[in-house]
Amino acid sequence: MKTMRFLFMATAVLCSLGLVLQSASAADMVPKAAFDFKNFPDMSDFDPNKPMPLKGDTIKIAVVASHSGPAASVGEIYWISVLWAAHMVNKQGGIMVDGKKKMVEVLKADTQSKPDITKKVCERMILQEKVDFLWGTNGSHLQKVINQVADKYKKISVNAASLSDELQEVPDFSRYAFMTTFSTEQIGRGLAYYYGQIRKKEKKFYILCQDYLFGHSMAEGFKKGLKEYYPDAEIVGEDYHKLFLTDFAPYLTKIKASGAEVVYTGDWIPDAANLLKQARQMGIMLPFADIFMDEPRFLTEVGVEGTKGIINLAQYGNGNPAFKNDDQIKVYRAWNDLWKNKWKEPYNTVLYTHPFGNIGAYIGSTYWLLSVVTRAGSTDPEKIIKVWEGDTYQLPSGQILEMRACDHKQITPLTVNEFVPPAEQKQSFNIPPYYWFEGCSNVGPSTLLPMDKVVPKADPKLCK
Amino acid sequence: MNNKSRWALWIAGAVALFLYPRLFGIYYANIFVTFAIYALYAVSLNLLLGYTGLLSFGHAMYFGTGAYGTALALTHIKGLPLVPALLAGFFAAFFLAICVAPLVVRVGGNAFAMMHLAFGQLMFVLALKLRHITGGEDGVGGFPIPPLSIPGLFSLDMGDPILFYYFAVAVIAASLWLLWFFTKTPFGQIMVAVRDNTKRVDYLGFRVPHTKAVVYVIAGAFAGMAGAVYALFQNLVAAYDAYGILTSFVPVMMTMVGGIGQFFGPICGAGIFGVLDELTTRYTDRVELVLGLVLVLVIMYAPYGFTGFLTYLRMRWSASRAQRSPA
Amino acid sequence: MDASVAMYVAQGIHGLAYGMVLFLVASGLTLIFGMMGVLNLAHASFFMLSAYFGYQMVAWTGSFWAALLVAPVITAVFGILLERFLLKKVHAFGHMGELILTVGVSLIVLDGVKAVWGTESLPLKMPPVLEGLVQIAGMQYPIYRLFIIAMALVLLGILSLVLFKTRLGMVVRAAVSDAEMVNALGINVPLVFMFVFGVGTWMAGVAGVAIAPILTVFPGLADQMGMDAFIVVVVGGFGSLGGAFLVSIIGGLISSYGVQFLSQYAAVLMFVFMAVALAIKPKGLFGERD
Repeated sequence: MKTMRFLFMATAVLCSLGLVLQSASAADMVPKAAFDFKNFPDMSDFDPNKPMPLKGDTIKIAVVASHSGPAASVGEIYWISVLWAAHMVNKQGGIMVDGKKKMVEVLKADTQSKPDITKKVCERMILQEKVDFLWGTNGSHLQKVINQVADKYKKISVNAASLSDELQEVPDFSRYAFMTTFSTEQIGRGLAYYYGQIRKKEKKFYILCQDYLFGHSMAEGFKKGLKEYYPDAEIVGEDYHKLFLTDFAPYLTKIKASGAEVVYTGDWIPDAANLLKQARQMGIMLPFADIFMDEPRFLTEVGVEGTKGIINLAQYGNGNPAFKNDDQIKVYRAWNDLWKNKWKEPYNTVLYTHPFGNIGAYIGSTYWLLSVVTRAGSTDPEKIIKVWEGDTYQLPSGQILEMRACDHKQITPLTVNEFVPPAEQKQSFNIPPYYWFEGCSNVGPSTLLPMDKVVPKADPKLCK
Repeated sequence: MNNKSRWALWIAGAVALFLYPRLFGIYYANIFVTFAIYALYAVSLNLLLGYTGLLSFGHAMYFGTGAYGTALALTHIKGLPLVPALLAGFFAAFFLAICVAPLVVRVGGNAFAMMHLAFGQLMFVLALKLRHITGGEDGVGGFPIPPLSIPGLFSLDMGDPILFYYFAVAVIAASLWLLWFFTKTPFGQIMVAVRDNTKRVDYLGFRVPHTKAVVYVIAGAFAGMAGAVYALFQNLVAAYDAYGILTSFVPVMMTMVGGIGQFFGPICGAGIFGVLDELTTRYTDRVELVLGLVLVLVIMYAPYGFTGFLTYLRMRWSASRAQRSPA
Repeated sequence: MDASVAMYVAQGIHGLAYGMVLFLVASGLTLIFGMMGVLNLAHASFFMLSAYFGYQMVAWTGSFWAALLVAPVITAVFGILLERFLLKKVHAFGHMGELILTVGVSLIVLDGVKAVWGTESLPLKMPPVLEGLVQIAGMQYPIYRLFIIAMALVLLGILSLVLFKTRLGMVVRAAVSDAEMVNALGINVPLVFMFVFGVGTWMAGVAGVAIAPILTVFPGLADQMGMDAFIVVVVGGFGSLGGAFLVSIIGGLISSYGVQFLSQYAAVLMFVFMAVALAIKPKGLFGERD
């Protein structure tokens, strides 16, 4: 009898131990490849305004973005991010592909934010410049074109910035297109999970999004998430405003009257900036739950008080503190020192202070792409696809990215950040000067959402 | 020029168009198709602007309707052949023009321009708003492009850029020829007279509004044709490309730069814009600056556009020759 | 006051405030057109340019008031230069020439501000005096928006006084209806034109600085505002100051009450209003000129 009990106990212990181990292994998944801290080169000659001149045969990446026109700042952010990763690889001596050591060259492909120009410029990149990779871009309508062209000429396209789920769904899905960013439904569900399962405070939500596909998808994701993770929540109002709106006052007046406790918004800048700014000017101090209210310049303008309490969902991050070892600090310093001392306009503004946030994510996507190329030993799309499908890669932050094989979407835990005044930012920014930004609230408490709760939407036609 | 050499010229042109994609490859073939689409679009606008003196700030509503007509027909009608799809765009624009014409032909000048701005922008915001039909900003795309075929005889894959080039160039050349022919008819002459002296045309017993209406509908329908080819070429039609304010402005600028009131002016303008676009996107991020400077310089120094400038050169040349030759 | 009534009143004030900004931009446009027959498509670009000048002034002097005084004047100088050295030369080629020219200028301004100030969104802080809220009849309202309403009304008042009570105004009005005749009377009409163009761009400049603290200063600012101002001028009738004023207010109210009651169609309402108004009165509600 005693032995029986012992056996029973032992099995129980072993079983629970197994469970613990299993769940632990999900968190400490061993990636197939990781950022190589040991070979991190001297980056002191990196200057986004003066790319290193390259000779001979190169691996070419076209940064497809708006490099001119009112939205040119977006192109600048992509440019420095991709160029940084390429420069690092070049300083390491390049990549061995198809038996030859090659440097990585980055080209600008200007979309002017127009689909027809995007098509033309992508064709030029592939047919004339012979680029191997199209790296794009904000705006699902533009990314759709990039993916179409990539599909037609059988080249790899990397979507690092367009958040629409449908890009990786039938009928738009192309096996040449890889999405290395979070996506709309996942974002909405992520924030709903945070409010319903973790924070458990506010109950009344107002949805205010931009009136086009992206805004509506963001809202749908959030509503779906609330049903799933927060049935007690109440949506007290829902509005969709036109893009580049001048006056938010009428919407804000409605929001105020609705009794909302949180405003959920998918707006990007300048709309996001004007929304927050005008809300605070009107004395409406409600917190916003969003993904784009993280641009330091306008946050500083609104000030510490006005930006306190913003809930920002981010795709880049690995929980607090931001720096867990000296290697990470070294890589961070390499960027931050250059920003402080070397770079000229437009890369010397406060926006480029940290290689974190979206910049971190864009650099990360490019690290991953180049790691895949290295391991494929080729720029042949078929070989790239083979390596990238199901691949896992660990970023310098420690965050692990996984490429879902069936629809080429990135799976990774998401981070929810609560903005706090500079004095309280030390819990996140744990090296001197112990705050992210001086003039505004920024990341304080940082919550990692479990990967399995925020799996990106999968089209059942692609993923069984 | 006698008849024979004129024929020789036409044939040489046709041969050049035929050989062009073989010599320069897919990329430049596509550039040429873009140019041809805008050439037809600008010529259709010039029919209004140059021949009847009616400036439209909303011509995109016909271009866009043509594009959406074809795109939506191909999206929703399974197995629709190529030519009917093209005609769907053409007639969509045609019927829209017939509906709008009675409202607008009684006014001229700025009122005409502004009404078009209003209707054009209304179409734009509606296209944005009715997302379930138009796809809004993202547009309607990925619809099947049917092959050009006569069952049992032949079938040409229009997904092939070179074959599509031949198809597009043939359709646009035919449309341009029709429009050119139209300006040479007696009716075309009345059209010019409407521009130059509306009252006199009226006194001569021609009904001015009716004349305007006919020109208007033709201009709209052929803008729709350009839009239909555009839809097939891009395989994507989005609200901004179809109805955006810039889409209305581009043909006006092309016409002005190329030469207003001359049939081939807008075609030259489309060509100049094509070359300019190719150069700026290749060599500079300052796209707006270059375009802005070109517009300002053209208006300041060559207000009759490129073809006007050519005419001016020819006149000076013949004048100086006349001076030199002993009387 | 009942909460919902308070909300409706607030929406009315928002509509007025936005309408006033619209009026500031549109009044210059309509004046210039009414007087000179020039449809200045670069008008909104001057509006944006002034916001950038204002940003720069605040960066240098730290004073919003200095920006509000100086930036519009510099903008007006640019406007006058445009009129003197470019527009005048193409006047002979009619409206088309002026349209294309002003489009060209607007593109150059767009790239110019990017070259000088970059592509980022720049902040322009409002003066501390105008920050905060006031209590009016039991509800709160931002002081800054009330300030905009007041300033626009004062400008409208001065403008109407000059236009209808002074000799200069008489000349301007006369030149609007028959420039040749006024010229024949020995009045230097080109000088009057220059003056009007300057005042028109100055008004746009004032609007640019005034709205900057509510919005961000970025290269798309001209597009953001231009269309709405243009609609106001078109519907109000080219050259009609009163028309522009009335339609600005209607436009502002449509946008705020539209959001309140017909939120889904708010963006379309303004265009529907324009299309209907023009279908009935092609020359605009108060337009006489073609």
